[in-house]
Amino acid sequence: MAFVPLKYNFRNLSVRWPTTLLTVMVSAIVVACSCVLFGLVDGLMYSQAVSGDPLTLLVMRKGADNETSSNFSIQTAQDLATLKGIAQGRARTAEEAQKGFPDLQDKPLISGELLNIPVMSRSDGSRVNLTIRGATSASPYLRPKFEIVEGRYFNPGTRECIVSRSLVSRFPGTRLGQQFRVSDKEVYNVVGIFTAGSSAAESEVWTGREDLAANTNNDRSVSSTRIRAEDNRSLEALIDSITNESRFGLLPKRESVYYQSQNTTALFLTVIGTVIAVLLTIGALFAAANTMFAAVKSRTREIGTMRALGFSRTAILMSFLLESVVITAVGGALGALVSLLFSNWSFGISDFSSFSERVIQLRFGVLPFAVALGMTLAMGVFGGLFPAIRAVRLDVVKALREL
Amino acid sequence: MDREAAIVLRHVTKSYRRDQIQIPVLSDLSLSVEEGEFLALMGPSGSGKTTLLNLIAGLDRPTGGEILVQDNDLARMSDGQITKWRSNHVGFIFQTYNLIPVLRAQENVELPLLLTSLSRKERRERARTALRVVGLEGREDHFPRQLSGGQEQRVAIARAIVTDPYLLVADEPTGDLDRVSAEEILLLLEQLNHEFEKTIVMVTHDPQAAKRATRLLHLDKGKLVADVAQGRDVRTAVQPENAS
Repeated sequence: MAFVPLKYNFRNLSVRWPTTLLTVMVSAIVVACSCVLFGLVDGLMYSQAVSGDPLTLLVMRKGADNETSSNFSIQTAQDLATLKGIAQGRARTAEEAQKGFPDLQDKPLISGELLNIPVMSRSDGSRVNLTIRGATSASPYLRPKFEIVEGRYFNPGTRECIVSRSLVSRFPGTRLGQQFRVSDKEVYNVVGIFTAGSSAAESEVWTGREDLAANTNNDRSVSSTRIRAEDNRSLEALIDSITNESRFGLLPKRESVYYQSQNTTALFLTVIGTVIAVLLTIGALFAAANTMFAAVKSRTREIGTMRALGFSRTAILMSFLLESVVITAVGGALGALVSLLFSNWSFGISDFSSFSERVIQLRFGVLPFAVALGMTLAMGVFGGLFPAIRAVRLDVVKALREL
Repeated sequence: MDREAAIVLRHVTKSYRRDQIQIPVLSDLSLSVEEGEFLALMGPSGSGKTTLLNLIAGLDRPTGGEILVQDNDLARMSDGQITKWRSNHVGFIFQTYNLIPVLRAQENVELPLLLTSLSRKERRERARTALRVVGLEGREDHFPRQLSGGQEQRVAIARAIVTDPYLLVADEPTGDLDRVSAEEILLLLEQLNHEFEKTIVMVTHDPQAAKRATRLLHLDKGKLVADVAQGRDVRTAVQPENAS
């Protein structure tokens, strides 16, 4: 089958450049907005995926859904350290030693940690729950790609804290050298800024567990304990030991499974994002359809002429569909490129599982671009389909008479 | 020597439905056109001459009767078949030229060749030849807006002949042109009829244009009222069975 030459479509687009440009802009804005939204969902999903180490167990009180609602005695946490199959810590590097990392060589990779979730004021005045973690010497070794990017690691027992880089400037007093004031009683000196491979730890402030316990009058319990197993077999054995030991009253979960179960926020954002993307797509679809209806209307006689010359209905349909898809594809590509400008942006959202501030770095992986591609195709095909059908249904004789 | 009948219409009727009213346009029209004839259709507005032209060209379907062009029964063809048939056998010349404004002269002429299996090079050569035949050598890269009305109509004629069709249909080809340009176009049509032996069916209001045809048909109220060949009234009611 012969098709209408592409130059016919491209030259028509350039002749009608004002409407073409407007439709391209609408498509670009719609795709850019959706890409940013799904960049947030992608970032959240990525954060959850990297937070869970396959050999790490998160031990919480039986019945607790998450770390914030879990609580058990320090004694029990210490008993856990006696179990077999726990991996040993590695020697710290020279750089880590220089930055004050604790030495964990030949010590078990287990960390009983305490959480405090105070309501804090953001720099913009809004109030939100923030996770302050009472960490141990093993804590940094139980997080992915934990790095001190400014300053040094905190010294336990000295009311020092380190702050995730994502939180700096979002909350007052979180810059290096400043005082981070939770309450009149609870004040920490910021001695370091850290990153943790975009994991959940990047939404936290860390201090020594002893410091947090003293400040919150909670020196007898921990919220959870993380344990790194030597290997998969040890992991299974540890799960059995902890689960079957009734005096513990604890439930061990694989860290990766735990973070997968904390997907309420990601699910909510995905649903909201999808609804918004669909609504935006429908809006933009009408813009594309309007442009294409105008194109068909103004080129009725040309359509009639091409039909008279022998071009089939399918050739005409494909020609107008292609023209529509080209407009939205250019807009979609532009929108996707524009959204990349936001790749360094991070957003603070309230996590529905822990009800605390969660800072998410936008991430432009497969998901946002798959959404962009889907929206572009939907706008182009459905926006162009009805005008194209109208074009092919034109009566040739009547079309030839059009002025 | 008698030539073969190229186009045969038997008892053709055509009516349009507007709202609930049936409007007859052609009623029981029979006609035979020989191969290589230059036929002019005249008549007052609404007499059905353009409808007759559209029926012969396969752009429209009769309500009743039979239309045979080179033994092809147009009324029985599917939409796809008649579209293909048109591309192979009919060249169109319109009053308002109907060139594609965004395509250059050469590209406009090449357009029907896209429906053939010719290579790009062959298409280009054929289009150049067609433009040479109509006297537009050197204007290949001009867009329609850069040409005069007469030149646009020449491009349209080049487009009509580029596939070497059997039949040329022209709907008021000089209707939008000044006298000089109209004369040039009519000369060109005469040349295509004499030298290239194209069968031409032309609708016109212009008696000067009609004189260039080898045969003149008058329609009135959907009926054939006069059939004049070489200035001689041959018959007023044509029966194709008798005519061939």
